[in-house]
Amino acid sequence: MLRSDARWVRWATYALSALGGAVLWELGGRGASPAIFSPFSASMERLVEMLRTGELGAGLAGSLALFFAGLGLALVTALPFGLLLARAPLVRAAVSDAILLLYAMPMVALIPFILSLMGVDFGAKVIVVFLFCFFPILYNTVEGARSIKPELIEVARAFRSSEWAIWRDIMVPGAFPYAMTGVRQAIGRGLVGMVAAEFFLSASGIGQLIMTSARNFDTAGLFATVLIIALLGSALMALGRALEDRFTLWRGGGR
Amino acid sequence: MPRIAVRGAGKRYGELQVFRGLDLSVGQREIVALVGPSGCGKTTFLRCLDGLIPMSEGEIVVDGKPINGPLPRTAMVFQHFGLLPWKTVRGNVAYGLDLAGASKAEIRERVPHFIQLVGLAGFEDAYPYQLSGGMQQRCGLARALAVEPDLLLMDEPFASVDAQTREILQFELLRIWRMRPTSMIFVTHSIEEAVLMGDRVIVLKGRPSGVAEIVEVDLPRPRTRATLASPRFAQLREHVWNILMDEARRAEFELER
Ligand SMILES: Nc1ncnc2c1ncn2[C@@H]1O[C@H](COP(=O)(O)OP(=O)(O)OP(=O)(O)O)[C@@H](O)[C@H]1O
Ligand SMILES: [Mg+2]
Repeated sequence: MLRSDARWVRWATYALSALGGAVLWELGGRGASPAIFSPFSASMERLVEMLRTGELGAGLAGSLALFFAGLGLALVTALPFGLLLARAPLVRAAVSDAILLLYAMPMVALIPFILSLMGVDFGAKVIVVFLFCFFPILYNTVEGARSIKPELIEVARAFRSSEWAIWRDIMVPGAFPYAMTGVRQAIGRGLVGMVAAEFFLSASGIGQLIMTSARNFDTAGLFATVLIIALLGSALMALGRALEDRFTLWRGGGR
Repeated sequence: MPRIAVRGAGKRYGELQVFRGLDLSVGQREIVALVGPSGCGKTTFLRCLDGLIPMSEGEIVVDGKPINGPLPRTAMVFQHFGLLPWKTVRGNVAYGLDLAGASKAEIRERVPHFIQLVGLAGFEDAYPYQLSGGMQQRCGLARALAVEPDLLLMDEPFASVDAQTREILQFELLRIWRMRPTSMIFVTHSIEEAVLMGDRVIVLKGRPSGVAEIVEVDLPRPRTRATLASPRFAQLREHVWNILMDEARRAEFELER
């Protein structure tokens, strides 16, 4: 019998599923009008061409710079702020509803506001990505810190832990898994923010490639670019998941 | 002069008066066992004593000073174990030492010793979720012993281990204590255990609870398995039993029958 955890079995399953997807795409593309959809093969040809001319590389570089600037800014602000809120119950009570509201609100709604406030340059676009990323990280970090059992804080106090050691030994490791869930959400949302900023503030990067392709009825180019974004998104999510797993062995179980 | 003096101690949680008017003392090298029915405030009392929560009335003086905040050179074994889930057995046992400022070398040397002592050798790299309740409790015990405290506060430290392991650990703890006698408050709801461990047994009772009686345990040390079989042990055990099983509870028991 095949052991489903054998490495090659997993890879074969994966390859078959990718192949199936490509075949479906190919058939669908051939059946549809070229102005709307383009088959897999044509999209791949266009992808290779865009890679060779360098337009895809340049677009991707611009987009990634924007994405990581926004995500990075969100990480260095939301993580400490979230932990701080967890140790300061009064402040938390004051702001937690606001955080939930902003976490639940579709950030796209704020884009016109950012546009009029900050203009259309790189900085403004970073703020858009930042806003998309910030609240999932903050919200989940606060939840994580709140999930820490008060008994553990009591243990720390009984062993005369300093406040700094309470953060190091309890707050940070306890909130970490939740915070990483937030980071993974932030990656997904940040990509949306990135493309939205590139669409609505000023055309650049991948967003510009998509718009130009659409305007020129270059359906193959359009789908090649969309595929790249999808791959980028899943690669980043997988990275986030790997980081999370690496640091949460202690939770155990087949989670 | 006693090391710890508790005078008129009382604790209220809102409307609920947990205990009131507690007077007791603990000597420099004395094991005081604390017994009482579930919910009578044993854990709460230990928390007050360790300065983790404020008392409502009375005062506790340790080494001549009224307590304010967690005591130095004190270690607590928690009823809820209180292991850090993200640390291995090794990391948890090292936790107290690390906070007490022990050097890396000191930690490397002492931790395996105490892991061995509580019978957790081979589980150094296990996380708490991989341990049984009794093993977690022993890990908590090793963590407390490792800092070599001058005052040990034990909150039902053997409640979750099986009978044999419990006996082994009782005698092991007595052996450790003989090598380095310190003040110890040992909370338990096993009367046998209280009589076996304690120089005195303080019996808590009532609602709100107070000290019903302080029983001097005149069994010689070192105490061994033979102690458990001695007539004096049986006498003391019966005595404590009778204090706890007062008229009211006897009546209740008759009613249920
Ligand atoms: N933080 C708290 N807030 C309010 N009430 C509390 C709190 N902690 C304990 N109590 C109450 O105080 C009483 C004593 O609790 P405590 O945990 O000290 O009992 P215990 O003697 O240790 O019992 P057990 O033998 O079951 O461990 C209980 O009635 C409990 O409900
Ligand atoms: Mg208790």
